[in-house]
Amino acid sequence: MYRNYAKQDVINNEVGLTVRLAAMNTTTPSPDAEDSVVSDEALLIAVGNNQDVDAFNQLFTRFAKKILALGMKLTRNEQLANDLIQESMLNVWLKAPLYDLDKGSAKGWIFTLSRNRCFDMLRKQKRQPNCISADDIWPLESGAEPTMVHEDIAGQQVELSVIEGYFDKLPDSQRAVVEQIYIKDRTHEEAAAHLQIPLGTLKSRLRLGVAKLRNMIGVDQ
Amino acid sequence: MNTEVKLHPSTELLNRFVQGELVTGKSVVVAAHVELCESCSAKAEELQALAVSSWVDPGNVLQPDQSSAADYSSTVARIVTYPQIKSEPIEDLVEVDIDVLNHSIKLPKVLAKAASQGLKWKKVPGGISEAQLFLDNETLCEFIYMAPGCQIPVHTHQGSESTLVLDGSFEDELGEYKTSDFIIRDAQHNHQPLSTEGCLCFAVLDSPLKFTKGLARLMNPVNRYKFKKAISRVA
Ligand SMILES: [Zn+2]
Repeated sequence: MYRNYAKQDVINNEVGLTVRLAAMNTTTPSPDAEDSVVSDEALLIAVGNNQDVDAFNQLFTRFAKKILALGMKLTRNEQLANDLIQESMLNVWLKAPLYDLDKGSAKGWIFTLSRNRCFDMLRKQKRQPNCISADDIWPLESGAEPTMVHEDIAGQQVELSVIEGYFDKLPDSQRAVVEQIYIKDRTHEEAAAHLQIPLGTLKSRLRLGVAKLRNMIGVDQ
Repeated sequence: MNTEVKLHPSTELLNRFVQGELVTGKSVVVAAHVELCESCSAKAEELQALAVSSWVDPGNVLQPDQSSAADYSSTVARIVTYPQIKSEPIEDLVEVDIDVLNHSIKLPKVLAKAASQGLKWKKVPGGISEAQLFLDNETLCEFIYMAPGCQIPVHTHQGSESTLVLDGSFEDELGEYKTSDFIIRDAQHNHQPLSTEGCLCFAVLDSPLKFTKGLARLMNPVNRYKFKKAISRVA
């Protein structure tokens, strides 16, 4: 049913849990990635959904030198560049649940995060006023949090069968999340874990799916 | 002399912007244009994708310093004790409107944020008003409002000036500039902007203006003073 997740890798994390990791249909894997290599995205999803320390270690190893190179280029200061590794990877850990795989690769997400932290580090070091930060200059495409509740759709007084008809018209990826939340009554976190997608992706697909349903209901009335 | 009028930032400038190489003032004026301009927004996205794909491990020359490499495991151990963030913090939406004559102008988000601590407008001779922003210690950033019919004295720039038109229009010897246009002027240009309908701009200078004609030349020391003051405010 979930054609997005047809390709799956299997790894064992250190607490012995088997984690099936989703490969994605939305980004092209890097050319040197072999089928046996776990994608950056899969590692990031494991970090965000399962607080997987082993996956985080792997991301750390993959990105430390890249972040260092970026830091050296932008700060020309070895100490700052080394600080940037820690600062950026801390943010990778903290914000992993917010990653949205529909909006780009994990590498792109980590690049953005590292560039922004570097920009703010330099501003702080030069004691520049803090009226503005990197996240204002390179804003994340932020949709508002989905605020709808179940009553929203029910309140429209539409036959359930009609809604079900609309439901079938949703793209697979959106139907899957709407089903998890509205039919199976799972929490966002449970649904993200079940679908093996980041929480950030779950929320944005849910937002899109519900908006589409509302639209279809509105249009027909 | 290259007199090509550039209404968008050059590819090179956009590229430095996405790579995070520009000083804050320049970053803000480019970001404000990107926010207003669909084609530059798409181009910035492409350039960033290129930057990401060429983001690779450095050669042998550059290595994380030994002590911190050895510390990675303790760093990781410390990091993973922090609770993760499950939803985007809901930011207060900052809106800043600037009222001119008979209408008000809503600033692009990045400028609204930068101006959210308030703007102090100062009238300068010739129907011009200015309000400075203090963003970094290398540039002079200001909103400039030209009342209808107003003209800025002939001047050149010692460094470069990036100007984003936020409302209305102005013209100089090289062309006419309208809302959302991004203009770069440098020492090669000797210009005398004129606005018939009135105009609000945001300008970022990396060195003081230099007036080249008439009594306005008397203002040059003032311009230099103003520039130094803008820089020292944040230094
Ligand atoms: Zn543009």
